[in-house]
Amino acid sequence: MSWALPAMILACLAAGVWRRVPVYDAFLEGAKEGLATARNILPALIAMLCAVRGFEASGLTEDLCRLCAPALRALRLPEETLPLMLLRPVSGSASLAALRAVLDQCGPDSRAGLVASVMMGSSETVFYTCGVYLSAAGVKKSRHTVPCALLAWLAGSIAAGLLVP
Amino acid sequence: MLTAAALAAGAARGRLDSVVNAMLSGAREGVTAALAMAGGFAFFCGWIGVLRRAGAVTLLARAGRRPLRRLLGPGLTEDALEPVAVNLAANMLGLGNAATPFGMEAARRMAAGDAAGNALCLFLVINSSSVQLLPATVIALRAAAGSADPGGIALPALIATALSTLVGIVSCKIAERLS
Repeated sequence: MSWALPAMILACLAAGVWRRVPVYDAFLEGAKEGLATARNILPALIAMLCAVRGFEASGLTEDLCRLCAPALRALRLPEETLPLMLLRPVSGSASLAALRAVLDQCGPDSRAGLVASVMMGSSETVFYTCGVYLSAAGVKKSRHTVPCALLAWLAGSIAAGLLVP
Repeated sequence: MLTAAALAAGAARGRLDSVVNAMLSGAREGVTAALAMAGGFAFFCGWIGVLRRAGAVTLLARAGRRPLRRLLGPGLTEDALEPVAVNLAANMLGLGNAATPFGMEAARRMAAGDAAGNALCLFLVINSSSVQLLPATVIALRAAAGSADPGGIALPALIATALSTLVGIVSCKIAERLS
């Protein structure tokens, strides 16, 4: 599927030209936002990598992985993806850092790297999203919102393991 | 919390030095990582910016109006339809920052009283299950990590997120019946 990326870029370009958009200006505008994202997640990235690396050095990661290994194996999920899976609903920048760690350690084209990439895209930061919108709405009782959202997250994570050969 | 656990476990096993060292190198790693990512982010968000200017958000929002009315039911007030549609359309294109203000507006207009109504719950679940059509950030990260095929995960990611959204919707509908 190495045609996927060029095709997507071409589609964007074609859409821009077709609607007579000043493509260069629009690109710069979007790129500025992309850079802002990178800058915004920098502090969280540092904090997260500190914590994760310390956690690994203390040997706790291995214990946790050993504990969850049977369940992960049954679902065909590589154990390297466990930190990402657990962080995904909690923090967007922390899960981004966790994804990067998997990509660096196992390689982006390894099975773990592929599963992690799919996992990352399959859910949002559940607690953040629900928190922001519920407080915007001034609603105190969220009823079944969070359990259902977490169920969706679990389904997405399991699907990631099954979809990658 | 993670840090405290790491320090405690490190102390318990006499590995405190290596734990602190690992944390420091983690901090350095964070800076290089963000720098390496910045280029890819800018590149992909640039193309998404072109799409947005081409009117992709309005187009998707217009197409989504009818199915949304059916899905969310009577709890979706007429004045909330517009921000809901724009929010979901922007999210589909991966414009999270652009989507959030519309989502907040939609949530505010759908809110009635202390507890969230069925429509608001479902809207939130759909939103937090992610409806992104193209995971640009993930692709950028994969490219930065030197993948031979950064965009190869686009299709499985689309299937996975469609599946998770489906599970979210179905479980919401079941929960509505139960309550």
